[in-house]
Amino acid sequence: MERFKGPIAALMGLSLLSPSAPVSAAQAAPSSPTPQHAPARRPYQSGQLQGDERILHALNRFTFGPRPGDLEAVKAMGLDKWFEQQLHPATLDHADLDARLAQFPAMQWDTQDLLFRLPSYGMIRQVADGKAPMPENRALHVIYENELARVELNRQKKAQEKQEQAAVAANGSMAGADLRAASPPAMTAGMINPAMDENSDGKMSQETQQPAQSNQMSMMTADTKPDPAPIDPALIAEILALAPQPRAVRLAAMQQPEFDSFRKALKGPQRGALTAGMNPAQKEFVGALENPQHVVVDELASQRLVRDMYSNAQLQEVMTDFWMNHFNVFLHKNDETPYYLVSYERDVIRPLALGKFEDLLEATAHSPAMLLYLDNSSSMGPDSPAAERNKERDARNFSAKKKAPEGLNENYARELMELHTLGVNGGYTQADVTQVARVFTGWTVDRPQRGGGFKFDENRHEPGTKKILGKKIKEHGELEGRELLHMLASRPATAQFLSRKLAIRFVGDDPPRSLVDRLAKSYLASGGDISVVLKTLFHSPEFWATDVYRAKVKTPIEYVVSAARASNASADNLQQLVNALRDMGMPLYGSVPPTGYSWQSSTWVSTGALVNRMNFALTLAANKLPGIAVNWTPPPASTTAQLSDGPGPASVVHNPLPGVATQVVPSPAAEEQRLESLLVAGGVSDSTRSAVLQQLDSQSAQNSSQSNPVAVAGRPLNPAQAAAALEKQDQLLAGLLLGSPEFQRR
Amino acid sequence: MQTNRRFFLRNGALAIAGTAAIPSFLVRSVMAEAAAAPGRRLVVIFQRGAADGLNVVVPYREKNYYAMRPDIAVPANQVLDLDGFFGLHPSLAPFKPLYDQGHLAVVHAAGSPDMSRSHFDAQDYMESGTPGVKSTEDGWLNRALQAEDMNQATRHRQENVQTHTAFRALALGAQVPRTLVGKVPAIALSNLNSFSVGGHGPAPSPAANAFEAMYGDSGDSILHATGDETFEAVKMLRTANPAQYKPGPGVDYPTSDFGNNMKQIAQLLKANLGVEAAFTDVSGWDTHQNQGGVNGQLADRLRDFSSSIAAFWRDLGDDAESVTLVTMSEFGRTARQNGTGGTDHGHANAMFVLGGNVKGGKVYGRWPGLANEQLNEGRDLAVTTDFRQVLGEAVAKTIGANNLDLVFPGARLRQDRFLRLI
Repeated sequence: MERFKGPIAALMGLSLLSPSAPVSAAQAAPSSPTPQHAPARRPYQSGQLQGDERILHALNRFTFGPRPGDLEAVKAMGLDKWFEQQLHPATLDHADLDARLAQFPAMQWDTQDLLFRLPSYGMIRQVADGKAPMPENRALHVIYENELARVELNRQKKAQEKQEQAAVAANGSMAGADLRAASPPAMTAGMINPAMDENSDGKMSQETQQPAQSNQMSMMTADTKPDPAPIDPALIAEILALAPQPRAVRLAAMQQPEFDSFRKALKGPQRGALTAGMNPAQKEFVGALENPQHVVVDELASQRLVRDMYSNAQLQEVMTDFWMNHFNVFLHKNDETPYYLVSYERDVIRPLALGKFEDLLEATAHSPAMLLYLDNSSSMGPDSPAAERNKERDARNFSAKKKAPEGLNENYARELMELHTLGVNGGYTQADVTQVARVFTGWTVDRPQRGGGFKFDENRHEPGTKKILGKKIKEHGELEGRELLHMLASRPATAQFLSRKLAIRFVGDDPPRSLVDRLAKSYLASGGDISVVLKTLFHSPEFWATDVYRAKVKTPIEYVVSAARASNASADNLQQLVNALRDMGMPLYGSVPPTGYSWQSSTWVSTGALVNRMNFALTLAANKLPGIAVNWTPPPASTTAQLSDGPGPASVVHNPLPGVATQVVPSPAAEEQRLESLLVAGGVSDSTRSAVLQQLDSQSAQNSSQSNPVAVAGRPLNPAQAAAALEKQDQLLAGLLLGSPEFQRR
Repeated sequence: MQTNRRFFLRNGALAIAGTAAIPSFLVRSVMAEAAAAPGRRLVVIFQRGAADGLNVVVPYREKNYYAMRPDIAVPANQVLDLDGFFGLHPSLAPFKPLYDQGHLAVVHAAGSPDMSRSHFDAQDYMESGTPGVKSTEDGWLNRALQAEDMNQATRHRQENVQTHTAFRALALGAQVPRTLVGKVPAIALSNLNSFSVGGHGPAPSPAANAFEAMYGDSGDSILHATGDETFEAVKMLRTANPAQYKPGPGVDYPTSDFGNNMKQIAQLLKANLGVEAAFTDVSGWDTHQNQGGVNGQLADRLRDFSSSIAAFWRDLGDDAESVTLVTMSEFGRTARQNGTGGTDHGHANAMFVLGGNVKGGKVYGRWPGLANEQLNEGRDLAVTTDFRQVLGEAVAKTIGANNLDLVFPGARLRQDRFLRLI
């Protein structure tokens, strides 16, 4: 796909579309047939999408949204061939994506390495408690020392809080009757910010919800104690003036809490300047000095968005998103989850996203991320050797304080059947849930705090035969679980459940029964081959029905990524997009319950929800999201020459070339037409277009009275003025188009 | 989706006013009406993940409670005694004065007649208000507002005027929850301060005007309706400026999401925007593992929960008279602790009802007991009060939804069987 990327392809699109008024693709279809690719086996049917709309529909559903030029490229290649390629991601060119992903070196490390080099709170606490050694490597040593100092500071603070709390409580009980007066201070003192709590004892389980990231943000610079000494602005200037390498060295030499104070004293652009010019490894290091956990969380979310935006293997990324949601794991389940999620997505989900479902199910069942998230790692057979030993120990020595209780945990067993395979109406009972939990006893994680892998612990495994859904599973250790997973993956209920979910993702909120049945049949016939099921979907008339065209409302991630792709955005820093997803109620890896996010329109369209989308569109188009720059192909008249240099800087300002002394500002209608064809594949409605143009008219009327001629067509202008005026007009235009009703759908 | 329009605001004054802000006299009169009747505003809090009711309102006189929960039970000498049998978890200390003052009531062993132990299904049933019926399209609180409309229609037949605002059904969060989905338009917002399109100036931004026209003329019926509601809400918020209602002196909300949501609900209530039903949720109750007893995971959750609600109550001041608050969770948890220091999915739970008109200071409901033979399916607290009894009484006595068959179809609720807690 590499060859049709970028401005040249965009120009192609422009020359095809711009001369005439934007026609809807439906009108265009008869005049632009694709005879060489029109498949013979799909004769023309009324109510079926035709021509360009077919291609746009496929791009809308199997990618994160068309980029400028995609339509033409797929048309040239042929839709069927394009889809075949998408089913075989290995055949696609990944060089561009790999270059972009090189900015996240840590995302290539295995979990143990990741936990060691960017230590979690758990890891630091182990070192603090003398249970793990301090690393000898000098750079790592500094990272650990910073973290240890923060842990110590927090411990002091907690101890102090406890004292105060005790004092207040004592006062409160003395005050006795006057509860109303006594309660407010008691409450405030007793209240613990959940984020701080997580910080100090690590085991936060599912306490901190979606906006946990924002909570975490606030605690990243240890806002625990007043700064010991104010940071001298001269010091900031001095450090920021250093070359990248000496700057990193200088920062590493700072002691705590000076480093955190320094970091906190940085204002606005200084924060970016701190790592300016550094290579990815240096940036990671400076990030780790500040907060190693955040490096992991930030890079995890960033690499995901980079892939969604730029990968040529779009269908693989769409399916990765689908399965990450299906096999949801919440980012903040515990300290180690973000670390395990790196490998979970990279090694478990993505490589198998288009493979056999059973392999995917097996891999998730064995993954530490899932074992920890749904608590199976701590489940133990009530009659297992380990449990028997504990009982004997307790019987011998009942005066001794009992260890943490150990036994059966049903969490994974239930969600495995309800959410991963059979569906809630899949015909299982509470007794089945308990039996499944017994099967999976012993499936655990080897030393999770150090990033260990799957371990089957025979000692924790429940002995005896289990009976599930009427079928006996004989005692056979770990193989019981494998047998059960195979059984679940092969059940017709699973085929139905997955098929319906896929149909909802790719076709419509209430997919036709005929389609779901066909997909389920294809699932069972192919041994649960996801690619085969997708192919069946691609060849189903229900998928191409005219009434499903643009019928799906985009989820927040689909909306945000499709807007970035349509505007050909470059991304140096993904944080703003990560934040946008959080604000829209769909933080990456942020679904607390195991159900994941809904694919239904009604979840995402509501009064209020649109405000976030409109604002996102406006800020994106105005280049006001730091780190993200939109890149619209400039108007052909002034910029053809610049284009040949390839993707230029992200700006629509068309610097006049020497030969072009004066410029003609295109009319708003012409600009609207140009941007509409670039940004909104398939175009907008007449009413949307006229609302946009009306707004521009009233603005230009205002502006011309202020002698700032934005859009007075045909009038010669000072080039700089014209460029600025045009840029502003384009930003508003593009923002309105990306926020339009048409762009909310795919 | 939502298709009915409120013809008064929409086609009347707003149409005249065009895209300008609503005239303030209109805003005032609308709001005065909506805020007039005392006790008309209902706040619903959903504890997602199934809170462990037995450790929230502890039956500390039950021997079997301690036998079944050797590691996580709250000792009798640490509970905040309510009536000699039940006691609050110590982290609920902020609730104790509200209970003592008679504003806070507890309903124990409440829950759904449906036996599902799936979070998703059980939440869905509770939010639709139709346990066991999946095809219900709207939520119970939305239907309660529909029932209120029917009441009003019969009462003011000749006027035929509805005076509801875009904030009538309000959810704090990014999405409208199932509970509020339905014919009556509901609004979801997560941050009051950023609820504006294209900037925060005193007048609508040019982009906002263009979007309004675009969505207003759109043939996309879902987005068209949603867009209309959105812009109405944005305008009202600009006029009312709820940010001016800062928490009162001594009112200290937790900095948590839940605390922040409760604070914003209070602001919207105080700004008299016509809120009749408000909803928010709080998660993190799914304590399968290591839930703790007096301290620990659940204790931290409860501290945030009770501090936020108590702050909300104090913050409302005199407005509290007109507000009733109900809490709910999809099911309770197993009576016995599980093998990993937590509890698995169970059945009955405890609900809280707080309000100026609430007959608090009492634990309502029939206690089914915790002896092994009294447990539901041998493992959970049995349900003795259908959750719809509690909610039915709440909607009938607050927003005036008297047609309970509409609100809870199939439940056959009768006013004379209410618990009489409001």
